Amino acid sequence: MNRNFIAMLGIVTALLMVAALYMAFLYVPNEATQGIVQRIFYFHVPCAWVAFAGFGLVAIAGALYLWLGDQIWDDLGQAAAETGMVFCTLVLITGSIWAKPIWGVWWTWDSRLTTTLLLWLMYGGYLMLRAAADETPQSARVAAVLGIIAALDVPVVIVSVRLWRTIHPAVLVTRQGGHGLEDPRMVATLLVAMAAFTALFAWLLILRLATLRTRARLNRLTLEIALAEAGD
Amino acid sequence: MSAFAAILRKDLRLELRSGESTIAMVALSILILVVVVFALSQAGARGTEAAAGALWIALLFSGMVGATRALGAERENGCIAGLLIAPVDRATLYLAKLAAALVFMAVAEIAAVILMVLFFNLSFDSGLLRMVPILALGLLGFAALAIMLAAIAGHTRLGDLTLPMLAVPIYVPALIAGVKASAVLLGGAPFGAAWTWIRILIAFDVIYTVAGYLLFEHVMAEQA
Repeated sequence: MNRNFIAMLGIVTALLMVAALYMAFLYVPNEATQGIVQRIFYFHVPCAWVAFAGFGLVAIAGALYLWLGDQIWDDLGQAAAETGMVFCTLVLITGSIWAKPIWGVWWTWDSRLTTTLLLWLMYGGYLMLRAAADETPQSARVAAVLGIIAALDVPVVIVSVRLWRTIHPAVLVTRQGGHGLEDPRMVATLLVAMAAFTALFAWLLILRLATLRTRARLNRLTLEIALAEAGD
Repeated sequence: MSAFAAILRKDLRLELRSGESTIAMVALSILILVVVVFALSQAGARGTEAAAGALWIALLFSGMVGATRALGAERENGCIAGLLIAPVDRATLYLAKLAAALVFMAVAEIAAVILMVLFFNLSFDSGLLRMVPILALGLLGFAALAIMLAAIAGHTRLGDLTLPMLAVPIYVPALIAGVKASAVLLGGAPFGAAWTWIRILIAFDVIYTVAGYLLFEHVMAEQA
């Protein structure tokens, strides 16, 4: 990966992030009913978006690895899972911080919360598998299969969890979605925050991918040296 | 097809002679049901919802043992090498292992259902018979997923410890559907009342049986 490109992306990310922070804390007006707490929304939603994108990437990278067998897809799968996991954790944390004053509880078994938690657990398992497996092509294939199997579950999870909650009496019917943004400044802030987090995600992903590529190269070189020495 | 029958027959004969997996699974099912009854309060340990929940916890964790043993027994004595060298494609091997695991899990499940009726003061009536397709779908989905994941877990240093962490989150949608459908039917409702949940179970089973059939070669390929 080109060094200059990574540096440029880092700078763009930093600028966008400063803009997003300024807009979320100073520029955007308070939401009428929720007050200041609602501002966490501008971080929460972008985190959720990149977390889901990361998990999608894991499955795509897995399928490409099984198909093409190139090491880079395996590395991409790992980098995407790790980065996605970070943002998925942030989604759960920022969601809890928001839920406590608004819903009165840190956690509720709402369908979106449950789906996110299950995704978090699945990819926790995926990363655990990667941590506990040796770095062999066979382990890479196994991880790729797990990434695909987990992604196949997402539609079933969404449907079943939604039914589970609709049939149960809903204690909390407050639903805060993207449509509550009546002020154009709110939309602008959300868009800038989305761009900032997408750039941050891409930057972290590429940095991690570059590290993994370097490590793979180092392993190859070490092996070559060992073989050359054994040959002498 | 004959390779499928041969592997299945081998597994069933092995199990008839040793009984290892089934005994472990039945014992675990009993223990789980006992533990759930102790863990719930006197009032909580009554009623069909608690009974259905306990039954599915037993299914989930005894199934985990069954899936682990399905491939673990082959590894312990090196049989897996023979199986992989044999001119049998991996998909057939997967289906045979799935069929064998289903038989063992069904035995454990029958024991669990009987105990559930006794522990939760239910009655042996037609409600239990109507649950058969639900439990069969639940077992098929779990076995299809867990055989695959057990093969995956076999590649790690943690081995079988990895299986629950991979299997439980993925199985949750089927678990929700199974518990709900069982509670509905145990409560005396007609079969149609559980149809929403049955559809989810069917979808889950189709997805993971097909995925296992297609992807098993990747998780068993060069392993010996």
